[in-house]
Amino acid sequence: MSNSSSVVKQNFIHRLARDYSPLVLIMVAVFIAIFVIGAATAPNFLTVLNIKTILRDAAIVGIMAIGLTFVTLSGNFFLLSMKETAALSIIAFATSMSAGYGFELSFLFTMVIAMAAGAIQGLLIGLGGNPIVVTLGAAGLFFGISSWWSDNLVVSFRRPHGAEWLGSGSFLGLPNITIAFIIIAIFAEFVLRRTSFGRQVYLVGSNRAAGRATGHENLSMAIKVCIIASVCSAFVAIAFSAQVSSAHVNYFSSSFGSSGDMTIMVIATVMVGGNSIMGGYGSSLRSSIGAVFISTVDNMMVLHGYNSGPRVLAVGLMIVFSIMVFALVQRGSRSVE
Amino acid sequence: MFNKVKNWISDNPDLSFAILLSICVYAYFGLTNELFPTHRTGFAIMERFAVLGLVGLALTLCIIAGEIDLSIGSNAALAAVITVRFTDSLGAPSALLIALLVSTSIGAIQGYFIAYLRVRAIVLTVGTLMLLRGVALFAAEEKTVMLTDFRVPDFISTKMLWYFSPASLLVILMFIIVGLFMGYTRFGREIYAIGGARKEAIAAGISLKRPMIIVFAISGLCAGLGGGIIGLRSGTAQALGLQYVLLAGTVAAFIGGVSIMGGKGGVIGAAIGTLTVNFLNTGLVFNVTPAFMVQLYLGILLIVVIMFQTGSRVFDENQRRKQILADADNLAKQLTKRKQFLKERPG
Amino acid sequence: MQPILKLSNIKRNYGAIKALRGANFEIMPGEVMGLVGENGAGKSTMVKIISGFDSGFEGEYLLNGEQLHFSSPIQAERSGIAVAQQELSLIKTMCVAENIFLAGDSVPTFATKKTLAKNAKPYLEEVGLGHVDPLTSTDRLSIGEQHLIEVARLLAHDPQILILDEPTAALGETDSIRILNMVNRLSERGKSIIYVSHRLDEIFKISDRIIVLRDGESQEPRQASELDVNSLVELMLGRELKNMYPKRFKKEISKPIMEVKNLWPDRLLEGVNFNIYAGEILGLAGQLGSGTGDILAAIAGSTRTRGGELIYKGKTFLPKSPKEAIDSGIAYCSDDRKHDGLFLGRPISENLSSAALKSISKNGIRLPKSENEMVTENAIKFTIDPSRIPQEAGVLSGGNQQKVALAKWLAIHPDVILVNEPTRGVDVGARAEIYQKLRELADDGAAIVVASTDIQEITNLPDRVITIYRGIQIGEIGLEDMSAATILEEITNPFNEKGLQGDEDL
Repeated sequence: MSNSSSVVKQNFIHRLARDYSPLVLIMVAVFIAIFVIGAATAPNFLTVLNIKTILRDAAIVGIMAIGLTFVTLSGNFFLLSMKETAALSIIAFATSMSAGYGFELSFLFTMVIAMAAGAIQGLLIGLGGNPIVVTLGAAGLFFGISSWWSDNLVVSFRRPHGAEWLGSGSFLGLPNITIAFIIIAIFAEFVLRRTSFGRQVYLVGSNRAAGRATGHENLSMAIKVCIIASVCSAFVAIAFSAQVSSAHVNYFSSSFGSSGDMTIMVIATVMVGGNSIMGGYGSSLRSSIGAVFISTVDNMMVLHGYNSGPRVLAVGLMIVFSIMVFALVQRGSRSVE
Repeated sequence: MFNKVKNWISDNPDLSFAILLSICVYAYFGLTNELFPTHRTGFAIMERFAVLGLVGLALTLCIIAGEIDLSIGSNAALAAVITVRFTDSLGAPSALLIALLVSTSIGAIQGYFIAYLRVRAIVLTVGTLMLLRGVALFAAEEKTVMLTDFRVPDFISTKMLWYFSPASLLVILMFIIVGLFMGYTRFGREIYAIGGARKEAIAAGISLKRPMIIVFAISGLCAGLGGGIIGLRSGTAQALGLQYVLLAGTVAAFIGGVSIMGGKGGVIGAAIGTLTVNFLNTGLVFNVTPAFMVQLYLGILLIVVIMFQTGSRVFDENQRRKQILADADNLAKQLTKRKQFLKERPG
Repeated sequence: MQPILKLSNIKRNYGAIKALRGANFEIMPGEVMGLVGENGAGKSTMVKIISGFDSGFEGEYLLNGEQLHFSSPIQAERSGIAVAQQELSLIKTMCVAENIFLAGDSVPTFATKKTLAKNAKPYLEEVGLGHVDPLTSTDRLSIGEQHLIEVARLLAHDPQILILDEPTAALGETDSIRILNMVNRLSERGKSIIYVSHRLDEIFKISDRIIVLRDGESQEPRQASELDVNSLVELMLGRELKNMYPKRFKKEISKPIMEVKNLWPDRLLEGVNFNIYAGEILGLAGQLGSGTGDILAAIAGSTRTRGGELIYKGKTFLPKSPKEAIDSGIAYCSDDRKHDGLFLGRPISENLSSAALKSISKNGIRLPKSENEMVTENAIKFTIDPSRIPQEAGVLSGGNQQKVALAKWLAIHPDVILVNEPTRGVDVGARAEIYQKLRELADDGAAIVVASTDIQEITNLPDRVITIYRGIQIGEIGLEDMSAATILEEITNPFNEKGLQGDEDL
């Protein structure tokens, strides 16, 4: 079908030239300029080690962002409970490990709990509950449950525990968490592009009423995507726990990373990638790229020797900037009609 | 008399539920802990109200307008840092004024972009939450800022009339002013309109920019005032602090009767919602409940309120369907005469 | 007396489409001018130009003798022209008085609800709602009353010219009469009213003169008293359009593929009964608001009903969701393709396969080759250019969008195809193509049911027509008796009454 692909290419360039207002092009140009200058002047930026670091730092938030992307693409906005689902999962995992059940069983156990957490939220959202409010409430609930379960103490389990490979192992020179990130990113993109389920995600996200009219209800969709997002949170939690052989409810809380609140980082990552909050447009690949992008900016700031203040500022600035650019683009393409 | 009350309750189901919830929470803690229903506790509650009330008010307004301000905590923290940093050199009133100017402008600018870019506030404020946090870190130069002269904090917390202090009285004044503004001016009505029925409001000729800028400017002002009060009261400020206010304020707003779909709610509801959350908070602290459990209870409270709201919405829809069916039946009765004619007509 | 508003030789093109080709319009002070025309004749374009929503036109625009060219609707409003759109723009959560004083120069800055209520009273009187408490919440009023509140809001700006665009489209009889009475009252007070409507019976009841638009051109205004339904329809339709419709032949009566028994959607006044036959195009004729669309939606499991069932493929049931209907081979295309007929942001290919994902997948994995084949085949069947398939559905013209909305159902190989307003917002060329396809589908064995408010369409497309009037099934018209006049009479005045009538005196 080379005919249609050249038609697509023609269309893209046409649209680029016609739809995107000069304001957007200027903003993007300025941004690229700053980025390139920053990269060029940062010491040791383009080294292999540094790139590995960027990927590793992007992995944790990236995996969760990929899961969240499914929710956003399907038109169900966000889950504000990613952080708390991770907390619940990490406690579940560590408790099971410390009770001696071994990696496989603990993994399974944690996944089951995460899936249940996702399914409940998906059910409420699919029945018509507003995602923001439902997940806000769920967040408090999960956090409370995890705290009560662990008595707010650190739960640790002894090495060797069979999960070292996940937490701190490496393969082909890359840490396993990065490999997991890459595999999950590829797999998610495959699901979205090539499976019937992936197509349904886009359709329901693009127009819920039309989705219903063609036989795709949001109820089952919401449940499925919430489960996917929760499973991703759980996976990250398990990997992290394996790395430090312990768990505490606050591991993912406000002082996570240099830029703070994990939930916000994950949501911002999905937005930075250019996924539309209304659903039906975007991809998990974009979120993965968003994660790498944010990690790169942060990394550049570190290499330049900045403290956490300017780093947070830079990341925040970049997020606001991307949001504004994408909003302008969407506004521009809408006015063409 | 009883009928009047019954009518009021059915006209204002959400507010009635809020008041009921508030009384229940207070009663629970009052009865299980003898230290709870005292003047000192009342004062502590009102002191909490000073900050949380402002946040609850701001979020109530945002949700009424069909949006939400996720950056309110960061805005407040920034204001706290600015206030504390400049009090020693410029005096507390000037420092507070600068902080308020900054926070209100930040809010207004956000409101402008939300209207101009037609971007949802929840998306934009995800970014500004982080951006402002960075600015706060910058302004605090990475450390906790502290006052050296503690006369101001003492003044702000002076007890007046058993329960109040200059801070909480100022906040109550804010509530009254904003309440009058929302209820009796066209600007307030515009805010309700763009929240409850945005497409229709724009079709009816309301420009999005004015109400949006006003709402977010007020949100910024509240954040600034709240942050300033906390900074001056405790004498310290942390750039990364005040993040909990978002959840607490949101729960307060929902208890007070806002609808996630916008266009509903009010200042009185915001006050009641905040008081309820404060009762819960303070009561739990008195019962020596660990901090994480507070989040759990807040979460449960939010779910209870949402279930109630959903229930009443479902009830309303059923009523509406009954109305449609009743209208159809009425029309059918009217046309029975003519139908006879039709049946008797040949062909 | 000079006309208060006079438009001459108005030309308006949208790309290649000529919406208005030198049309004229005029109206006297205190006059009620009816504006009629088929879908696509240029009515909405004319209304947009008059009310300032469209400034891209050529021609002369004289208001009170002054040459004007509005660049925004606000300017037109300030000059005294107000338009009540078909879609309500009321804030349902607010009370009546607040809705009347929402935006504009006449809204007071500081006011209590009581003050607004007091100020609202005179305007409520003017639209015939003097009995309504201005503090009532707007969603407690009936739709008709809400339309009147919308007009009251416009009156608060003291316009000289009022445009009512399909004011009674979704209204029942009582409410429609309210509107007509209001129009009378306003014109007596000296206001000019432009009344745009498909409801020819109302046009006759209310207009002083009538202007007919056809294919972007206007006729001379005629006195309403000089015309009747037949002559009006003739003016509206014109002869050359008849070639669009495929030939029809009398069908052999066979066993019905579906029997509809006592189907009672919420808005109808009683259950309906009729049969659907394979190979036939059945028409459901009724004015806007009569319930024809609800009947189709009910068969497709898409709307609530009080009861009823279908005897279909050996089973007696009623689908409770669109998915159930689709699984039984029932395809349903609503009258609002933008709302639920298309995925505007997705490529056409995804739209075309959206109802039949299972048939192009194996073990959950989509097979691009199968999808391409099916999608291209169905696109060609509906004369959609296959090279455009990767484009977003949103960039298509109205006619092509409608084709996509219909063509996607081919993928499920439906036995029953239900279509509400098959050519709404579709240009003439695409309409002919759609009619041809529907006929071909019927000839191939499908049963097609079409609901339409377009007189020409419902007269010339179906083999048989069932008439509905305000929620009541009236009768059935076969091919030999089918004409615009007979259909119109049954759907507008089946009880054969003359003049404005209602059971209450309003």
